[in-house]
Amino acid sequence: MNNNSYKFTLPKGNDKYINIPIEIKWGVLGQDNAVEEYQQNVVEDIIGVPGDFEVLRFAHAPYDNNTKTDIKYDFHFFSVNGGVPSNPSSDVTTAVSTDWEISYIPEGFLTTEIYYYVKPFTKSFFKLDFYDSKDAITQTNYFTVILPVQQGFTVSAMTSAYQPPVDIKIPSFKLDYVGDKEGFFLYWLRNTKFLDISKFYMTAKFFDARLGVFVKMMNVPQIPTLVPSLFRFNPEDFFYYEIRLDYNEKTYEVWDTNGRRGTTNPIKWYEYINP
Amino acid sequence: MDDIRIVLGSLRYKTSTNTNLSIPTPLVQNTKNLQEFDRSVDVNLAQVFDDERQKSTTFRPVCKFQILFNNSYSGLTNYGPLENNLYYVNENATLLQQCSSSPGSIPWQGFPQYDEFDFIRSDYNVSGYTVPIPSTVPGQAPLVHIDFISRSASTYNWNHFVSYPYMNIDKVMSFNNENLVNPLTWNAVDGIPFIVVILDSAGNPLLEGGNSIIRFKCPVKHGLSESEFIKVKLNGYVNTYQIFSFGDGSPGTEEYIVNIFNIGYVSIFNDGDDGTFKRVINNENPNDTTSKYYVIQHKIITDVNDAVLVNAGFEKNIFGVNKKFESRVYTPNKVSRVSIKENSQSYTLSFNKDIDVNELRDNQKRPISELYISTVWKGYFGLTFGGVDNTGNPVGLKQGFDFNLSPLTSFNIPQSWWRADNSNSNFVDSNGIPYSIGTYSTYADSSIRFTYLKSLKMGDTIDGNYCEWNDYEQKERVISEMYHKFTFNSNVFDLTFSDDNNNQFGYYYKPNRAMRIRGFSDYIETGSIKNMADVPDYSYFSTTYNSFIWRDLYTYGFKDNSGNGVDYPFLNGKHYPYDNFIFRIIPEGTNYIESSLHNYATLYGAAQPITDNCE
Repeated sequence: MNNNSYKFTLPKGNDKYINIPIEIKWGVLGQDNAVEEYQQNVVEDIIGVPGDFEVLRFAHAPYDNNTKTDIKYDFHFFSVNGGVPSNPSSDVTTAVSTDWEISYIPEGFLTTEIYYYVKPFTKSFFKLDFYDSKDAITQTNYFTVILPVQQGFTVSAMTSAYQPPVDIKIPSFKLDYVGDKEGFFLYWLRNTKFLDISKFYMTAKFFDARLGVFVKMMNVPQIPTLVPSLFRFNPEDFFYYEIRLDYNEKTYEVWDTNGRRGTTNPIKWYEYINP
Repeated sequence: MDDIRIVLGSLRYKTSTNTNLSIPTPLVQNTKNLQEFDRSVDVNLAQVFDDERQKSTTFRPVCKFQILFNNSYSGLTNYGPLENNLYYVNENATLLQQCSSSPGSIPWQGFPQYDEFDFIRSDYNVSGYTVPIPSTVPGQAPLVHIDFISRSASTYNWNHFVSYPYMNIDKVMSFNNENLVNPLTWNAVDGIPFIVVILDSAGNPLLEGGNSIIRFKCPVKHGLSESEFIKVKLNGYVNTYQIFSFGDGSPGTEEYIVNIFNIGYVSIFNDGDDGTFKRVINNENPNDTTSKYYVIQHKIITDVNDAVLVNAGFEKNIFGVNKKFESRVYTPNKVSRVSIKENSQSYTLSFNKDIDVNELRDNQKRPISELYISTVWKGYFGLTFGGVDNTGNPVGLKQGFDFNLSPLTSFNIPQSWWRADNSNSNFVDSNGIPYSIGTYSTYADSSIRFTYLKSLKMGDTIDGNYCEWNDYEQKERVISEMYHKFTFNSNVFDLTFSDDNNNQFGYYYKPNRAMRIRGFSDYIETGSIKNMADVPDYSYFSTTYNSFIWRDLYTYGFKDNSGNGVDYPFLNGKHYPYDNFIFRIIPEGTNYIESSLHNYATLYGAAQPITDNCE
């Protein structure tokens, strides 16, 4: 105790304690900070860091020397002589590619129903599903785009022999930044950290609100030349188009085995007939 | 335990020996040392959220624009593509004139349709204007004004950017009205301009309460308070005076007129003199309390294509659509159509790019507290920017301040500030060089030069508001807001009633809109030079008080009783500030601004009260 001299002042009264002020003029430099930093890392490991789930608007990539951006879809319904097939699974065995028409008439809608926008027509829609793979067993449907029937081109048609011709909608769409634009943009995660997907596979269905059924679509007409047979073919080859996302340009392109589609060559969908 | 004495054992009594005595001294402490490897942390969701929120410096600004626009100028045009697409007026008279003379020589009259001013053009399918008509002459180009590119629908007319106040600059400013022999011209850094009045209308010295006074009339709000001082610069003479009173007795003049005692300054101040003054809060400490005056320069931090502009759902403004059916009989191309003069669609603006403000400092070298949404007229369809400067080069966008908006009523022309040959009002870059104008011609009429403003890009600068800053208060006051003006290209569209091509009537708009992202405290902090631990790097050091002065930055999510501070969504690790803006496109002479009701009147007449004392 020779090195330290303490001077105690004994308190008066009944106190039995002596308060000794010990001032510490040093600290563990950085150690506490390091512990806090480590503690924060541990907390982040346990509960995670905030992920970025914000979506980005992907527009159809320009083409034709960057002057055009529209994307074209043509939906063909199976018809017999321009009308509704009476026995589709039988009729399709002798069908030719021109039997699929860009019209709602073969699906069973009347010209008046289309023109007057009756509920069964206006509640119908095309549904484009976007999957991460073509494998129907393992694939995940990440998002869906709806194309309402109120969009699209028109053709002249007769609602009555006593009325002048009128324009009715057909399932042929030209979507762009302006005009018909519902379904033009794809909204997908802007950050690839969570899901890094740059290719999607698109299928199409038509919801027929008149019958309450979905009509599946193929990327080629279901004609007898289909390989290996009319009802036995590899679905991965005939039910999908490929969507390529460009995260830098915020654009997408649609491809099939023959090249880019949706530009001057429309994306063609044909009604699939069940056996 | 009274009178305790500690005595050495051998001294207690004879033969007594020294013994070891001890006093137990319990060391009691109220704190416990946290041992390494022995830490426990309560993971509180709210705390974690707040920690992440305070740490993030990335922003995704979103805003909604409501456009208020009164399509005010009808004019004449002989340019076919535009002539076929006007909102016509006087169609009958035009047709009758065409019957009596060559139809091609009589131009049609009307308003440019709303698409010429809209944020998103929707006239993508107008034959001959935006859709080419194949020429009947083999080998000749199709007839079209602009072959419409849908992707550019939202950038043909206006461009939107994110910017921030970057630095303070000096600008030459000018104010004029018909009662001024010469425009009032001054430099922004010199302070608030004024005109001296020492005589009343009868030619007698001005008196207030029996005291002789000198009156300074300002075209902008002076921002002074009682007991403050003004440092006057007049005719090369600089001196500081205490304020005596405000206003001339008329309602609303207090903010524009300041009076000082006239204790015999006869040789210094003359009636009609003009000069500038600066605000001084405390005359005994002019170093810290004299205001600084400047124009803010904004730096653009996004590109044109980063902006995503879409319709704001079905939202419309209250004024609806003003449209009419144009019968084929009354159109030059004999095509029936519906023309729209005004529309009411609202728009939502967001950006593809994240804005990281971590390393950005504002014009006062403080952390960024405001982002600005900057909107600039581009006018790609070429119907505007027809003026030329003294060298014959096309003049683009013009810029000025709200005190420049009032037209000279008796002459029915805009203030001379807006003349095409006034280089001080050009829309310029950081080097003072006007932003480039693009030109083109069309096959429909190759003799016409169409002009538009080339798009700005990231890193460019644009001028902002005229402001005052006081180090002692650590506060910025906007004296006058920046406005842009564009006029019509008279080669294409001729305003019949405004024949001075050098100073045409046009439309004004406010380019910069603030979006608050942080809040500064309403109190002022001071810090001693001896303890700088908590002094922020943006603080001001007062040599008079030998201390630091600053305003604290509030944390995200905190708002004080005065409403300072911000509280907007935080998710995805990013801040989502949001604001609603009204975007006015203001025709000449119809602007409802302070200057038209107050300073304009108070300079040489009676002010018009907005509200009287009973309201």
